[in-house]
Amino acid sequence: MSAPATAAPTTPSGSAAAESRRRRRNPYGWPARGFSVPAVLVVAVLLYLPFLWTTWISFTEYNGLGSPSWVGLDNYRAMFDDPNFATSVRNTLIWVVGSITVPVGLGLLIAVLSFGMRFGSWLRLPFLIPYAISGVAVGVVWRFVLQNGGGLSQALDALGLPGADLRWLSDAPLNTLVMIAASAWQQSGVIALMYVIGLQSIPREPIEAARLDGASGWRMFRHMHWPMLRPMTTVVIGLSLVSSLKTFDIVWVMTKGGPGRNAETLAVTMYEETFVNSAYGAGSAVAVFLSIVTFLAAITYLRRQLSSERTV
Amino acid sequence: MIARILRPAVLIVLGLIWLAPIYLLLVNASKDPAQYAADQVWRPIGDFALFDNMREAWEIGGLGDAVSSTLLYSIVGPALAVLIGAAIGFAIVALRLKHGFFWFVLVFGGTVFPLQMILMPLFVGYVEAGVYDSRLGMIAIYTAITVPFAALVMRNFLGGIAHQVFEAAVVDGASTWRIFWRIYLPMSTSALVAVFILQATFVWNDLLLGLALSQSTEVRPLMTAVAALQDTYGGLQLTAVLAGGLLVSLPTVVLFLSTQRIFSRGLSLGQF
Repeated sequence: MSAPATAAPTTPSGSAAAESRRRRRNPYGWPARGFSVPAVLVVAVLLYLPFLWTTWISFTEYNGLGSPSWVGLDNYRAMFDDPNFATSVRNTLIWVVGSITVPVGLGLLIAVLSFGMRFGSWLRLPFLIPYAISGVAVGVVWRFVLQNGGGLSQALDALGLPGADLRWLSDAPLNTLVMIAASAWQQSGVIALMYVIGLQSIPREPIEAARLDGASGWRMFRHMHWPMLRPMTTVVIGLSLVSSLKTFDIVWVMTKGGPGRNAETLAVTMYEETFVNSAYGAGSAVAVFLSIVTFLAAITYLRRQLSSERTV
Repeated sequence: MIARILRPAVLIVLGLIWLAPIYLLLVNASKDPAQYAADQVWRPIGDFALFDNMREAWEIGGLGDAVSSTLLYSIVGPALAVLIGAAIGFAIVALRLKHGFFWFVLVFGGTVFPLQMILMPLFVGYVEAGVYDSRLGMIAIYTAITVPFAALVMRNFLGGIAHQVFEAAVVDGASTWRIFWRIYLPMSTSALVAVFILQATFVWNDLLLGLALSQSTEVRPLMTAVAALQDTYGGLQLTAVLAGGLLVSLPTVVLFLSTQRIFSRGLSLGQF
């Protein structure tokens, strides 16, 4: 009874399947591949291949001449024993903490103060100019300002404030802190711009309702604007986190990593080991470490943000 | 009432602090090097010599060569990247590339890791292939590094074009190449321009790839040349170094201020 029932439709359903397979097969399969090849090829050859090569070289000893010789985890062991690496990790951490607090806080302040004000966009202009300048040019300007006895010292002196005799770019961790200030000078304006866009997208009704209930000033900001700016804060902090881990340009231009390598970040250490010391294996180990840290930081941050958003 | 005065006051004070380094840059880049005094940086003293200082940075500092090669890099690289990105976006969205999402993630993943992961192999590979310190090599890497972001934006943008557009063109007998070149690309001009501007700025401002993959004054990109000015304080007057820093910043400042919206939108897409 059941046998013929299952056997009978075999032929038609088989041909229907074949037909639907034929219909599902993309008539543009080959053109589609053709249009994708350039992107896949260029990314594979110039980005992924080097990526894999660096990973492999980190397990070898190699100075660019001859062929790499396998040394297992030696580069990583040496790296964790190296006091310069410890300094570099410490500086990178300071950069991360500084970058997700100072420019984000200032940007938010500038956005909130200028939002909805007449000439607000004009008052924001001074903060935006530094962002349009490259990291290198920012380094040139601030290295000049922070010279021993330079612009900042002279200003402090003239105002009768202490600190005029500080050696801004020589002493650690002061040099890292002032470079973070230079970076904040560059980034705050654009973060303000992003927060202004965030503020513009807040619907008017709940704000009006809160105003009728008597909320204003700080309470209004704390309970209405700040929670509603949350998606933008997530984006801004996430981007600052990832980019601060890779800090290179400003440090390189202002201090070359500092006297005695005391201002190096991980990105600078990688460059120093590879291109100055020709220790390709050691440099690659730093690069791999930096990549893993960046990856873990991004994943952890995203997961925390997503899970806390779900509970809200 | 207090807030009405306090808010602009705080902003103006902060704004003046923000402009102070720019003031120092302008004033000291304009000083005659013979009259420059290290302990008088806040005061505009001496003759106005900004253009002489810029000329010195341009000629002796080698910024002239660097500007022409960097113009080439920041136009050709992103232009190629935008086309390549649009092509794969077209393949995924309109031509329904098999496993399209996988290929998209693969291409976009190309910029997730730090640049430090690819510098050394690129350097070694470029030397082996004979393209180290060549304009061709620089264009190739600037194209590759800007493709992932272009693919991201173009895939999203082309996804907004109704598939009926594609079907109608097929009925009219157009080839896929023609549909891409004559219909999809013209329809996405705004996105193409936005991505191009963002990526051209990125290339213009690049330091690291230039440091690793070039050395001669003819090939070296602009920011690498500016960073090198800093090292040769002896060879070049400080006033000229500052004038050079000012000179290379002007194009991006003008571009940014005239296209602010594009930048802030690009930022929220992850272009920092």
